[in-house]
Amino acid sequence: MQSVRSATYLRAALAQRSAAPSYLAAGPTMSLKQQTPRRYATEATPALTAAPEIDFDRMLQQRSARVVPASPSYFTGSPRFFDHLLNLESLLAKYAALPTVSANDSPRMAWLKLPAFRDLVGERIPSKKYRGLLKVLNRLNRIDPAIRPQEVRLALKEFLRPGNPYAAQSTTTSVDELGRARGKGKRKESSAVVSLVEGDGEVLVNGKSLVEAFPRVHDRESATWALRFSNRLDKYNVWATVRGGGTTGQAEAIALALGRALMVHEPALKPILRKAGVITVDPRRVERKKPGRVKARKAPTWVKR
Amino acid sequence: MTSAFCSGCLTQLRQTPRAILPPPSTAVPRTAAFHTSAPLQKVVQKAKASGYEGPRYRVGANVKIKKKGRPQEKSRPPPPGERKALRKRIVLSNPNALEVEGMQELNGETMVDSRLRGSVLALPVPMIDQLRAVQAFKTSQGWSIFRRPGTVSRRETLEMGRLFDQISNESAGDRSSLKRIITGQRKAGKSVHLLQAMAMGFTKEWIVVSVPDARDLVVGTTSYAPLSEAQPNLYVQNAATAELLSRTATANKKVLSNLLVSQEHAALPTVKPGMTLEDLAKFGIQDQANAWPVFQALWAELTATSATPGLEKHFTPRPPTLVTVDAVGYWMQNTAYHSIKHEPIHAHDFVFVRHFLDLLKPGKGKSALPNGGALLYATSSSNNPSIYAFDVALKQAAARHAGVNPSSSEFPLPEPYSKPDTRVLEALNSPKPTVSKEGMLNVQELGGLTKEEARGFLEYFARSGLLRETISDEWASEKWTLAGGGVVGELEKLGRRLRVAA
Repeated sequence: MQSVRSATYLRAALAQRSAAPSYLAAGPTMSLKQQTPRRYATEATPALTAAPEIDFDRMLQQRSARVVPASPSYFTGSPRFFDHLLNLESLLAKYAALPTVSANDSPRMAWLKLPAFRDLVGERIPSKKYRGLLKVLNRLNRIDPAIRPQEVRLALKEFLRPGNPYAAQSTTTSVDELGRARGKGKRKESSAVVSLVEGDGEVLVNGKSLVEAFPRVHDRESATWALRFSNRLDKYNVWATVRGGGTTGQAEAIALALGRALMVHEPALKPILRKAGVITVDPRRVERKKPGRVKARKAPTWVKR
Repeated sequence: MTSAFCSGCLTQLRQTPRAILPPPSTAVPRTAAFHTSAPLQKVVQKAKASGYEGPRYRVGANVKIKKKGRPQEKSRPPPPGERKALRKRIVLSNPNALEVEGMQELNGETMVDSRLRGSVLALPVPMIDQLRAVQAFKTSQGWSIFRRPGTVSRRETLEMGRLFDQISNESAGDRSSLKRIITGQRKAGKSVHLLQAMAMGFTKEWIVVSVPDARDLVVGTTSYAPLSEAQPNLYVQNAATAELLSRTATANKKVLSNLLVSQEHAALPTVKPGMTLEDLAKFGIQDQANAWPVFQALWAELTATSATPGLEKHFTPRPPTLVTVDAVGYWMQNTAYHSIKHEPIHAHDFVFVRHFLDLLKPGKGKSALPNGGALLYATSSSNNPSIYAFDVALKQAAARHAGVNPSSSEFPLPEPYSKPDTRVLEALNSPKPTVSKEGMLNVQELGGLTKEEARGFLEYFARSGLLRETISDEWASEKWTLAGGGVVGELEKLGRRLRVAA
């Protein structure tokens, strides 16, 4: 019975895959009807009839003499990959004449990473080959989105990572109706939110003045560094809320948030702010303590015995 | 034959218990037939004589070399009082600093000149001794980095100068008075504001009475005693009062030596009418037991508007009085002193403190300062006690001055279950005075300098050679922000920071 069930399953699967590229033409299979149904012993068995004669002429008409793979890339070793590649290349050849936009203006796409692509095709693809595929994908992506054919859209969609990693950018990149720009920043354990308005250089941190929030001059300087470096300390008022961490972390979290808020007001300042070091995020956090160590790496005191 | 021994005596000899006999040479103790207790006591095995028995548990076997400690100081410690003198030393001049050209001195004209706002006014050299006498300078203020002491003329200073000028110009006997508690954040310049007031007082030949640090009276460092047998719950601090008299007499010598005793002082039989007030003060300095009655007499003389009948020839109109108290928050709590029942004494039970706090209230019948003048009490923000009742009382005083009715809902009240010190609330409960020209208690909050004032202040640093920068508006504005909105002490910190070009 088990064998019958698995055979049924296989048949159903084969029927489903008729649309998908099949690499081998399906060979002659037994039909279910040829199996004898189960009967009671008391029943009269019908008389056995011989199988019909094999019609070799018809058979040879239907099938070629040798088995031919459905995909032309069957013998490449990674046929699915090459199917994809050939498909994309044919699309590219078809639409090569369409106008393109520059790489910066084309929509940002999160292509599958190599391991995920390997899982998709089930073949061991070297990274160099995949890079070649990505080149074609990127060239197709440069086709002007306004007139991009549906065919290309669907083909590209196949290679996107599930979920859209670049869709989560919902931060407001404009000044609100009260003239405030908002920026967030993190450093160590601290996180800061800064509201920046045009003003005359007043700074409040958690409702306190800069001096009360940061008794150390160095911390005050680093908190306002984005404005100082761009000579705009007397042009904006800062309202910062900062939570967690210590003094240094809080000051540097404010610096980061302030840089981002300032970029909302003046996007052209980005290269200057990058030079000031308030664009690059410092992702370092405290390293965890390890068993057998006093701290993350510190070894216990050496004892002879 | 008789024996040499008496057998009766021998029989009375007790046999020594065996255990205390020396142990037998053999290891096994002999047991007696009938006696079980003593011989069964085992011979205690003595611990072995000290010999090496290998390393102890978890003890290193390394050779231990005894470390030598710090080399002991061979020299003697400095004599008593020298360290304190060094700590309290006030340096008012730095010969290495450049002399600022065209620096104006504080005088009657410059203290009201609004064109000089933001510039630093030097304190006149003769006045410095007076200011030292009232201990107006503090060690934490950066006097020692400039060539000569000077203070920045800010908006509040000019306003105060105008008020002082106005009070001085009023006719004697009809002068107005000013009562203020000065608050503000740390390093906002509250103590220097008092110093400026004192300097203006000396300029205008007022009498300046100053308590340089209210803390000294409550931390248990001066002697105290009950005031009298009739009033055992009031306490007097004679040494502190004598010091106050000494400060006042030294600083106001010129004014006090021209004023004569013109009142009757029944408590002080040695005080004769016609002697100068300076001599009166010296009575209290020399005889500390009498310091408090002498201070009361001096205060009565200073606040007199006319002479006792018969003594008119000694009377001259009294000048206005300036009273300053710094760190007044210390007077709003229990002190470190104890009563005879070992209960802590509240600061308001000291007559010294009570005298100065009572001045805040409107006088009965006549003004608290009948000859005019000013009461300026400053709070402190560094190392000060946190007293909730005082915070509320300050808010209430400000509201009363603004005209908020104490029964209205806008009047600030303490939180319901906070148990504020009612004596503190009562001490600052100063309603609108009935006597005309007597000022009402107000709270003045000192903030930061404006940007223009900050620029002038920083220019003074540059001209003194401390700051090697080109002072521009942008640069000064940046420092203004970094100083938390022009907090003057923070500006000083930024101005004196040496920057070395890399």
